[in-house]
Amino acid sequence: MGNLVTAVLAGLGDGAVYALIAVSFVIIFRATGVLNFAQPGLLILGTFFTSVLAVDQGLPFWVAVALAMLIVAVISMGIERVAIRPMIGRPVFSTALVTVGLFIMLLILAFRLFAARARTINDPWQLDQWCLVQGEGSCTVAFYQHHAGKIVVVAVVLAVLGLWLSRSRTGLAMRATSLDQEAALAQGINVGRMFSLAWGIGGALAALAGILLAANGSVVQANDALFALVALPALILGGIDSLRGALVGGLVMGIVSALARTYQPVHAPWLGPNFENVAPYLVMILVLLIRPYGLFGTKEVQRV
Amino acid sequence: MSQRTTPRRLLAAVAATGLILSACTAVEEDPETTEEEAPAPEESDETDAPAGEEADDTEAPEAGGEVQIGDGVTEEACPEAVNPDNGCIYLGVLSDLTEGPFAALAVPITDAQRAYWAQVNEAGGIAGFDVDIDTYTRDTKYQPAEHAAAYQQIEPNILAIAQSLGTVNTESVLDDMDANDIVAVPASWWSGYAFSANDHGLIMETGYSYCIEAMVGLDWFSENHGEVSSVAAVGYPGDYGGDSAAGAQLWAEANGVDDVTVIPTGPNQVTGGQDAVVSAVMAAEPDVVLLAVGPAENAEIVGKLAGGGFTGRFLGSLPTWNPALLDSAAAPALVGLYNHLAPTEQWDGTSAGTEAMKASLNGELPPNGGYIIGWVMSYPMHALLEKAAEGGDLTRAGLRAAMDGLEVDFDGMAEAITYGGEGADVAVSGLIVGTPNAEAPLGIETSNEFFHGPTFDQVDYAQACSASS
Repeated sequence: MGNLVTAVLAGLGDGAVYALIAVSFVIIFRATGVLNFAQPGLLILGTFFTSVLAVDQGLPFWVAVALAMLIVAVISMGIERVAIRPMIGRPVFSTALVTVGLFIMLLILAFRLFAARARTINDPWQLDQWCLVQGEGSCTVAFYQHHAGKIVVVAVVLAVLGLWLSRSRTGLAMRATSLDQEAALAQGINVGRMFSLAWGIGGALAALAGILLAANGSVVQANDALFALVALPALILGGIDSLRGALVGGLVMGIVSALARTYQPVHAPWLGPNFENVAPYLVMILVLLIRPYGLFGTKEVQRV
Repeated sequence: MSQRTTPRRLLAAVAATGLILSACTAVEEDPETTEEEAPAPEESDETDAPAGEEADDTEAPEAGGEVQIGDGVTEEACPEAVNPDNGCIYLGVLSDLTEGPFAALAVPITDAQRAYWAQVNEAGGIAGFDVDIDTYTRDTKYQPAEHAAAYQQIEPNILAIAQSLGTVNTESVLDDMDANDIVAVPASWWSGYAFSANDHGLIMETGYSYCIEAMVGLDWFSENHGEVSSVAAVGYPGDYGGDSAAGAQLWAEANGVDDVTVIPTGPNQVTGGQDAVVSAVMAAEPDVVLLAVGPAENAEIVGKLAGGGFTGRFLGSLPTWNPALLDSAAAPALVGLYNHLAPTEQWDGTSAGTEAMKASLNGELPPNGGYIIGWVMSYPMHALLEKAAEGGDLTRAGLRAAMDGLEVDFDGMAEAITYGGEGADVAVSGLIVGTPNAEAPLGIETSNEFFHGPTFDQVDYAQACSASS
């Protein structure tokens, strides 16, 4: 029972980060129809800038987080303006490949910036934990504060984002753009600005995900960027154009991974090591067999 | 950009690729594949060939008698040669230099090798030849396919490989290396390299394997921290954590310890965290935990276990350390409960080799211990080139022949090795134990140099402790 509680709590913490990454993909996809495979690069840049600002420059953690998100949002908007906007009207596949190239460029940039150093981000949770069940001399069921922090931060950010998208004028304009670009244009919405804004928000959310990933009391290195790709099954599971799906998909995948990590080595060792990395993809495949557009994705209507 | 069918397919394809990548550490490599990947010499890219003769030839070097040369050695000087009158020996480097999982370690390794060969060249080179390791340095991204492709590209133009990073990567081209007499120094420490059935006698390892490290590490622990009745081995499956875990099991068998818990894990970039490892170790309650993971995973595991009241101690393999760990929240736990294991002296070492290494950076510190690895692993190739040159045969076959019985003392940085033997004849077990200390260079203070335990001599070291993948 203790293992189950620990696994679920850890899964929720990891799942919150998966969800945030998935939402960052969805925001850009809904607004522009582009799957931005450069998100891992933006994620790790967020971690790097936070480390520089919070550790090297000594700024308060949350100030560093805000500044890092802002910097990455500007970088993301710059990418959209320079590399993506000229691709409007071109095949989607071509645009996606451009983002793959951008991913590699950003990753190499991150390796240069990290310069073979591991970094810390001075987060407020560090290795602190709440002991839920105390054993003889040691804690048998612990809830790490960084997991709680991740859950709370993601919940607050996604709630604010949801409110903004549904209540604010700009948010409604962005949603209108995602539904029908030509109609939005006819209504006087600056579609180009909406594209840019979506990329900025997507970049900022990816940066925040990178920061939360690094918030575990340990160190982070440039190749941790690849963690963003682990969120892809969550994105597909929820439906790649659904914010709600991204949230649910992220949490489900986090818990599935954590449970597989805890129980598979004991109860199904014949599946081999690292099965927890495969489990989310199996869940994704099973769901797609039943619901090809994901749990909350938009079902396409095709004329025949 | 409004169609949505294609992105879904594309995303599914990327996800499927991720699935394959995520499971790659547990995938059995198909030995047949290496046959197919092996390059045919006539298909190789000749455009990179340095100017000058490459066919078997005889060179009259300034510093010695007549030397027969062949592929990878030219009478013409190296590009930007230190000694313009010297010929040039081209060595390949196949490493993880930009975006792969070991780039943080591999870049300083490669930097150290460049510095090492620069000082060799400044000292006049080898038998009238400078050594060039820049021209044929390639980034493999730690992927076997990239490694094989890069190997195919550089193979026609190199005499040997000064650095081949990754066991599985190296194995992917080993058959072709065998066919072409390409000797290599590995940047990996798999136990299989001590056996010609695995490495065809082409691999010049530096220091012990992870398997031996586990055995000797546990011997050291028993001597210094009391009797061990239970062990947990945490690591990445395969040639690193798998080899270490196998060593722990061999140690346990030899010492009558029944309680060994093997806990496989992956890097945080894949798993998201090490909570499952923490729970498993907490449940097993071992006296000592052997760690064969990366620095971030090391800090998280040690820090969380210590915070949870775990009372055992930790032995961390060579790649588990990074000086930045002392800036993390796990620093107090690491200082109090963790010891670092290495086959080579650390930055606070005092051997002639270590002093020369420090001098190469003019008193500056490298970003991490990769620089030490790169410096130490240059000694075998240096000794091999000198021996081959003394024998008058600087061809690939000449180098391969010179490996037999080659003695390398590493200028005291690592335990001396006599190459060409099998198993325990070529394997060494000298262990350097370090303790985290913020005042020490690179954060590790040496507490025991070249410790030898009794267990390694008791085990039958007749085959690789573990599979490489």
